[in-house]
Amino acid sequence: MSSLPGIPRIALTWLLVAQVLVIVPHLVHLPLWMIALWLGAAGWRVQIFRMRARYPNGWAKGGLVLLVLAGILLSRGTLVGLDAASVLLIATFTLKLLEMRTRRDALVLIFLGFFCVVTAYLFEDGILAALYSLLPVTALLTALVGLQHSGFAERPWPPLRLAGGLVLQAIPLMLLLFVFFPRMGPLWSLPMPSDKGVTGLSDSMEPADIAELSRSSALAFRASFEGEVPARGQLYWRALTLERFDGRRWSQSSYADVPVAPQWSKAGESLDYSIIMQPSGKRWLYVLDVGEMAQDSGRMMNDFRWQRLRPVDRPLLYQVRSWPEAAREASAEPPGLRQALQLPEQGDPRSHAWAAELKAKYPQSDALVAAVLQHFNREPYVYTLRPQPLGRDSIDEFLFDTRRGFCAHYAGAMTFVLRAAGIPARVVAGYQGGELNPNGNYIQVRQFDAHAWVEYWQPGRGWRSIDPTFQVAPERIEQGLEEALSAEDGFLDDQPFSPLRYRELAWLNQLRMSWENLNYGWQRWVLGYQGEQQLKLLQNWFGSLDWQRLAIALVGTGALVIGLLALWLLKPWQQRPDPQRQAFRKFERLLARHDVRREAGEGARSFALRAARQLPEQAEQIETFARCFEQQRYAGGPASRDALRQALSDLRRALPWRLSR
Amino acid sequence: MRTKLDACLDSVNQVLLGKEAQVRLALTCLLARGHLLIEDLPGMGKTTLSHALARVLGLSFQRIQFTSDLLPGDILGTSVFDKDSGQFVFHPGPIFAELVLADEINRATPKSQSALLEAMEEGQVTIEGATRPLPEPFFVIATQNPVSSGGTFALPESQLDRFLMRLSLGYPAQAAERALLLGDARRDLLPRMESILDHAELARLQAQVPKVRASDALIDYVLRLVEATRSQPQFAWGLSPRASLALLAAARAWALLAERDYVIPEDVQAVLPSVVGHRLRERADPTGHGGGSLVQWLLREVPAL
Repeated sequence: MSSLPGIPRIALTWLLVAQVLVIVPHLVHLPLWMIALWLGAAGWRVQIFRMRARYPNGWAKGGLVLLVLAGILLSRGTLVGLDAASVLLIATFTLKLLEMRTRRDALVLIFLGFFCVVTAYLFEDGILAALYSLLPVTALLTALVGLQHSGFAERPWPPLRLAGGLVLQAIPLMLLLFVFFPRMGPLWSLPMPSDKGVTGLSDSMEPADIAELSRSSALAFRASFEGEVPARGQLYWRALTLERFDGRRWSQSSYADVPVAPQWSKAGESLDYSIIMQPSGKRWLYVLDVGEMAQDSGRMMNDFRWQRLRPVDRPLLYQVRSWPEAAREASAEPPGLRQALQLPEQGDPRSHAWAAELKAKYPQSDALVAAVLQHFNREPYVYTLRPQPLGRDSIDEFLFDTRRGFCAHYAGAMTFVLRAAGIPARVVAGYQGGELNPNGNYIQVRQFDAHAWVEYWQPGRGWRSIDPTFQVAPERIEQGLEEALSAEDGFLDDQPFSPLRYRELAWLNQLRMSWENLNYGWQRWVLGYQGEQQLKLLQNWFGSLDWQRLAIALVGTGALVIGLLALWLLKPWQQRPDPQRQAFRKFERLLARHDVRREAGEGARSFALRAARQLPEQAEQIETFARCFEQQRYAGGPASRDALRQALSDLRRALPWRLSR
Repeated sequence: MRTKLDACLDSVNQVLLGKEAQVRLALTCLLARGHLLIEDLPGMGKTTLSHALARVLGLSFQRIQFTSDLLPGDILGTSVFDKDSGQFVFHPGPIFAELVLADEINRATPKSQSALLEAMEEGQVTIEGATRPLPEPFFVIATQNPVSSGGTFALPESQLDRFLMRLSLGYPAQAAERALLLGDARRDLLPRMESILDHAELARLQAQVPKVRASDALIDYVLRLVEATRSQPQFAWGLSPRASLALLAAARAWALLAERDYVIPEDVQAVLPSVVGHRLRERADPTGHGGGSLVQWLLREVPAL
């Protein structure tokens, strides 16, 4: 074996296969030139193996690195951030091929490959992605096994078989760790790559915003109810309220961030449900009014929305109990109420005039609200996702000229009119409805279910929610966006392959539902299995348990298992005490300090001869000890520990004192 | 007594120049009552070595040149009708000598080979229903030529196992070869050699070999060596118990030659290459010639203490 063992053919082959498998799931977010980079690097490496090419020299490698950096800068615009960093990681993973000379380099590459497999989970953590990652892991293990084979081994399958066996053997351990290993919170929060990709609700609303959003069929969250699933028309998932209006744009008021829970009182039946939320990159959670949940899931803010301390950057499971009929801030005037009356200083004169007219006609708030709703119902308003652009007095133009718009238009206009008539009101943004999956009895809410509605406040009755969109397009609320847009071919027409477009095919729909169900289970039971849920399950099994005890138990069990294994392997009870061997070990240690080390296969006599040659001044003592040892151990002389000890201490005295070499 | 052994070694070394280690191993093999296989190119002194050993140990010597038309009867002997007595009279073959040199054993057919090998194993031969004991002591030194293997029958592993040791002489060093060229012809030297041991002395020495002390620690080392050949992946197969017995016997004889009455690991290591080399094969090359690199691995990696 030379000091720089090369990389066997089989290991190289498997390494290349593994690299392809590792890179494939990343392709979705990688720039296309990475494929060319990999092909080039792999081709080069194979030519090196065939001795048709040389390893690149330092200049070539430096140039390649600069080229890759420039490429990332061009295609991503930055070198920092998760997205660019992952491209950089894959690029290094690829380029490392070109300086893979020794087994050690190959090991580095393989471990880097494992890391790349893990980073793929940042982008996709579905069940398919998880199952797929078994492939690159197996291939990497195979390369690892192949690396230990001789360079003459011809057949590529034995390492694969061994690696497959290893993966299978690891499964029970994996399950065990999955169930018991405590999930630690992240040490820091990464800016998710999905920040720009995930279309979520934003914290402001300019009617053009939601038109974009409504067409995305990405999943927002899933909700499963413990009892009956309420009717679609009652599912108003609150995310946040928008109180400030500047004439064009609705946004959150600064007052809404005060973490003072508003006053409310429970009434009627409660609804229990749990929600698995997709990463949104935002802090708010989705609840039905009025929601209640465990303190560590989030806090209720002063506008009844629920919010977490950190943005939701990975799937999140939480349990909610809602009281749909609860009275909200009914007994006293809420402290921030004047926010709900704020209007721009000027603009929209026609709406102001109409509001004043209504106010004169209907002194009662309820009657006025009913009149506005009726107005939306009677007049020729059109629900569409392609409204005309509005000019400076956007409310006026919408109410009296165009009369075409979607929920944001209606909610915004209605809130404006109510405020102008002196009734405190605000826009609520969230999701409405969702699709019931009959297989799993849960509701899936997608981004196109995003919605905006209105709530207004009355003394003695508190906040009440109303939905002006319902007056215009009741089918939007009762059947969903798809029905509401049946006249208009706007629904998902930018996503020709979305299975949601083909709902009329029954079998396809069935298939889709089953698939969604599987994914739901994955989210619910695998990805969602952490924190509270894990603790609950373990408590079910082992009674009262908290994290400290779990950690102690885990460490204890681990130590016990390792200890038992060590006992079983070493069998200390079978080892008889061997004073001669111990003395000889001391002799070895003593000489090792003087740089004379025994080889494993070296006998006592030959070692002593060699040591005597290297330390000629102490040759006599060394030989005395060796002779004494040999006499006792092989010649059947009387076993005397003292004689050995004496010879050893003679030698120690003769040697110059040294603690270590 | 031991000085006589040294005298034997000296005497052989005067004839076979510069091969002290091999001569010592050959004598070890004979003391341990083993048979010897010498494998080398023609003209390296195989015959001279066997002949010289026979001379100094005072043994009767016979040489059988193995050829492809050699029959078992040519080795063992046949009964011939005697006209005078009117009876069949057994004419013993060359095998009935105390030291038999089976030259180029791989040139004969397997049938003839096995006639010799059976005699080696049993210490007696059965011819025409009558069992005849071979002389005591009885040694076989077989030689074979590893090159020019055309028309030969290589000994199978099972038969290689019957030889205690396999030696290879190798080219002489330059100084030895110079002395060889300047000195008398070997053929002239051999008849002049005197026998140093008689049968009784040789028998006594052979009886001493099993009495050489092998301590528990040493047996542990032998067991570790054998176990390594059975458990490590690079070995096509492990050593048999016969091989471990042979190893210990050879180590004892080696210790006796070194004038010690106990065995140390170095004795085992000294005889290990020639005792197990022909019994081991690499897994990567199971039909190959032998386990030279495996033996080196054993010597290097198996803990001696």
